[in-house]
Amino acid sequence: MTISPDSVVFWQWGWFSLNATIVFTWGVMALLTLISWLVTRRLSTGTNFSRWQNLLEVLVTGMRDQIRQISHQEPGRYLPFVGSLFLLIAMANLLNVVPGYMAPTGSLSTTTALAICVFVAVPLYGIVYEGPLTYLRHYIRPTWLMLPFNVIGEISRTIALAVRLYGNIMSGTVIVAILLSLTPYFFPVVMQLLGLLTGMIQAYIFAVLAMVYIASATSVRQGNRGSGNPPQSASEPQGEQHG
Amino acid sequence: MTIDWVTVSAQIVNFLILVWLLKRFLYQPVIRAMDRREQRVSNRLNEAQEREQAAEDRARQFEKKSESLDRRRDEILNQAREDAAREKKQMLEDARAEVAGTRRHWQQQANAEKEEFLANLRHAAAEAIQAIARKGLRDLADAELEERIVHTFIERLKSLDADSRKALAQTAEPVRIASAFELDSGLRSRLTRAIHEQLAEQVEVEYRRSPELLGGIQLARGGRRLGWNLADYMEELEERVETAFSPAESTREED
Repeated sequence: MTISPDSVVFWQWGWFSLNATIVFTWGVMALLTLISWLVTRRLSTGTNFSRWQNLLEVLVTGMRDQIRQISHQEPGRYLPFVGSLFLLIAMANLLNVVPGYMAPTGSLSTTTALAICVFVAVPLYGIVYEGPLTYLRHYIRPTWLMLPFNVIGEISRTIALAVRLYGNIMSGTVIVAILLSLTPYFFPVVMQLLGLLTGMIQAYIFAVLAMVYIASATSVRQGNRGSGNPPQSASEPQGEQHG
Repeated sequence: MTIDWVTVSAQIVNFLILVWLLKRFLYQPVIRAMDRREQRVSNRLNEAQEREQAAEDRARQFEKKSESLDRRRDEILNQAREDAAREKKQMLEDARAEVAGTRRHWQQQANAEKEEFLANLRHAAAEAIQAIARKGLRDLADAELEERIVHTFIERLKSLDADSRKALAQTAEPVRIASAFELDSGLRSRLTRAIHEQLAEQVEVEYRRSPELLGGIQLARGGRRLGWNLADYMEELEERVETAFSPAESTREED
């Protein structure tokens, strides 16, 4: 019984092995891009438009609304990153119903890669949004004593992000595999359906958590702006002392 | 549970490519399409609002116009009513005036006819009475009556007031005595004597017969006259007849 799609190798060339994870990820990417291209090739700006366009519009609008709700900011700059996370994971999990398909999200390599993307994106968004100094001051809040804990928290939540997704998807696959050998026919199907639900929920959780992390990194200035000027001016000399 | 770091890096690249692909093929076109649609819808809404505004304006204009038309109609109707009322009043007044004129004309005519009738009646009555009286007096006339007439005349001459006497006495013309009957010499001398006594001595007296004096005698000298005859009575009678008709006339007028 193969647990990880990483171990299914199609082609090996030196140190690079083309395993099932990469191949199926390409498949998912191709499917998403193809659907998007087919639908957005002929977009209607009037009131008459196709069901597929409607589906995509609902999807995009829903994601934008979610981002807006979580971050209290305009979703424009976050949508490509967070939306793509959600779509990739959701599609990768959904295709589990296809026989012979192995979800790339069931590989710790994939989830780690996505978690690393979030890990990099959070400070990137923070720095781009409010400048490096203001962003780095994050880590010494409320006092500089908190610096190591903040750094540990940053790393641990990234690991948690990767392991959570991997564990859920992998466990689903494993449970179905075990049940198939114990009670075939009916019960595994139910578990498969449950696995679909879990997959969608995990996709949602992953995207929302990524958004929450990014929002927390970009909301410092936002928070100061909200509470007024005196606290900001009071904290600024203090920060410069330490810098 | 192993991490293949080559796969990890490949997946990172894959994910970044996917982000670019989806941005290029999904997010941008869909968002642009939705924005355009929103723009179009809001344009349409604005247009509709403008049209509605225009329609409302026009409706208000028409309402105003209709109100002014109503007002104008009322004005015209009122004008017409006033004109009609004035015309009616005018016509009534005209009719009343015409009736009054006709009535006045008729009354005038009636009065004229009445007066003519009365005059005729008076004239006829006077003539009849005169004729009767004349006939009666002619029948009665004899020496004694003539003597009485002369006597009465002389009495009147004697009882003349000073002014009349003076006026009669002052002219140089002869005294003319006219009588309805033939005076005999005895009566003439009595008269002449009375004249001489009363008016002046030596005055000439002419005698003449005048049948139109109804059974009487008249003295004329200059422009003055003095006499007694039945014609005076006849005139008085005529006056009485007229006054007898007049009250009846006035009472009828009052009705």
